[in-house]
Amino acid sequence: MDGTIRRPGAAKPADESNDEELMVAYSHGSQDAFDELFLRYKQPLFGFFRRRVADPAQAEELTQESFIAVIRASSRYQPSALFRTYLYAIGLKILGAHRRKAAFRACFTGAPDNYQEPAALGNLETEYALRQAMGKLERLEREILLLREFEQLSYAEIAELLHLPVNTVRSRLFRARMALHRLLAASAPSSSAEQARIEERS
Amino acid sequence: MNTAATHPVAPEEIMAFFDGELDADQAQIVANHIDGCSECASIAGKFRGLSKSLTGWSISPVSQKLEEAVYDFASKISAKSKSRKASAPFRFSIWNWRLWAFGGMSAVTGVLLLVGFQILNIYHSDRVESEHSMAMMVSQKRGEESRSFVKAENKPQVMNSLETPSRADLRTSTGGGAPMSGAVGGIVSNAVAPPAASAPMIARTASLTITVKDLAAARTSLNAMLVHHHGYSAELTVESAANAPRSLTASLRIPASDLSNAMVDLKTLGHVEKESQSGEDVSQQHADLAERLKTARETEERFRGILQQRTGNISDVLEVEESIARVRGEIESMEAEQTGLEHRVDFATIDLELVEEYKEEIASASTAFSLRFHNAFVAGYRNAVGTVAGIFLFLVEYGLSILIWLAIIAFPAIFIWRRYRKARSRM
Repeated sequence: MDGTIRRPGAAKPADESNDEELMVAYSHGSQDAFDELFLRYKQPLFGFFRRRVADPAQAEELTQESFIAVIRASSRYQPSALFRTYLYAIGLKILGAHRRKAAFRACFTGAPDNYQEPAALGNLETEYALRQAMGKLERLEREILLLREFEQLSYAEIAELLHLPVNTVRSRLFRARMALHRLLAASAPSSSAEQARIEERS
Repeated sequence: MNTAATHPVAPEEIMAFFDGELDADQAQIVANHIDGCSECASIAGKFRGLSKSLTGWSISPVSQKLEEAVYDFASKISAKSKSRKASAPFRFSIWNWRLWAFGGMSAVTGVLLLVGFQILNIYHSDRVESEHSMAMMVSQKRGEESRSFVKAENKPQVMNSLETPSRADLRTSTGGGAPMSGAVGGIVSNAVAPPAASAPMIARTASLTITVKDLAAARTSLNAMLVHHHGYSAELTVESAANAPRSLTASLRIPASDLSNAMVDLKTLGHVEKESQSGEDVSQQHADLAERLKTARETEERFRGILQQRTGNISDVLEVEESIARVRGEIESMEAEQTGLEHRVDFATIDLELVEEYKEEIASASTAFSLRFHNAFVAGYRNAVGTVAGIFLFLVEYGLSILIWLAIIAFPAIFIWRRYRKARSRM
């Protein structure tokens, strides 16, 4: 991948190894296995946080925190589930803790003045409209939709992560998609206006 | 969007087909239906379009700072685990010589400590035994002397200068309560001093705990022994609780000269569980008391002499009579103390405890259980009532205060909770 830093002298791991094999190898001391895992998941995990947290710096911190948690827990890793599910479970826990802390702080300090939805920092009309529409979804439905669309998790994996029945995941995902479709359709004129405003500013 | 009545596949199934979540047969059915149904094809198109529009949500690449931080941390952890493995003293394997050496040294150290403790224990027990045997020898010697005193009391005889005067003689010379002449007082001073130097007065005590088979029979035997040894029971308590062994606790007084024989006889009552003996030397205490008594009697005699002369006025006479009364009171108090002290010496005290061998009766168990169940039920009922009453009283006493504090705390708590919920919903 572009922009990747390879540790000096690190041998390239076998590309054909799956995630679970790599994690087991890392738990037995193979640093190259971790390098390969990091290469595979640094961008998806950063995207996972970036789509859920407004501040990109915070998203980076949470990504770093998640990988550090993986490193620390490597000796206890058991390949009973997919590594992808394991990693996103850690990410969800860290995200939940971050949200609780932020909400607690906001109780006393209020939301920061420069608080902006992630989409406001983007330049694309579609992206902005998507973020706005996503923000209007019910929280659980939004989470299921994000996990399905961007993390590409199966219904069963989502159910395992969120401790829900698979049928609930399917019905909530359907409702989320329908709602998002309606919201995007409704926000099309405003999106155009926003685009015009951005163009004027630029 | 209710298509269940008109379409063989539900919209959720179309979505699942679109997500690749259906098995091959179901997927084939849905695909065939979509091909022939424009409405369902439209739904599938919506899903496709939505997914396509979501791909527009691009994310910037991860910064190098993040990569460096994670790699640094991973390197540190790796280095730590390697150094931990390198510096491990030894692995636990049964063939590891260091493990055997450590185990052997531990075993030798343990054996040495055990031997050391045993040696110390033997040395200590030898010392205790020798001290105990010496004490027994002294005690036996004193017992023999005491018996010789009693014999002398029963059979008065003229003592030569080498014989120790009996305490009966002592009592005769020091007690009595009658006014003594100066010549008698001289006898007292001569009689008291020698025994204090040569024959110490020992107040002996012993205690015995004996398990007997039949407490009633043992008590009968005990009474017979008391008569035989000319002793008496100063205090006696019999306990006969239900579902517990019967016991008898007594404080016996036996002539000191007969203590050993009495102890031997008492031990025949049953199995001796515990035995102890001790003696208190009261010679000095007795001698001091005798000296004070002698002085008080001399003082009384002088006052009486003054009173017989009657040379002063009436007030002086009254004052002398008061002094005589005071000294007389002191003399009687000291005589009583002396008598008690001598009694302690003459009669040894045996604290006896007889415990009957207890046999549990099966027949009484059921009765006991029903009684215990009844008592437990009553106690439980009382506890429950007490708990309810306690809660009620607590609410009466503090309920109003609690409500006031809840009202005070509720407003800020609700305010903070609402802000928290609002902040959570924005994230």
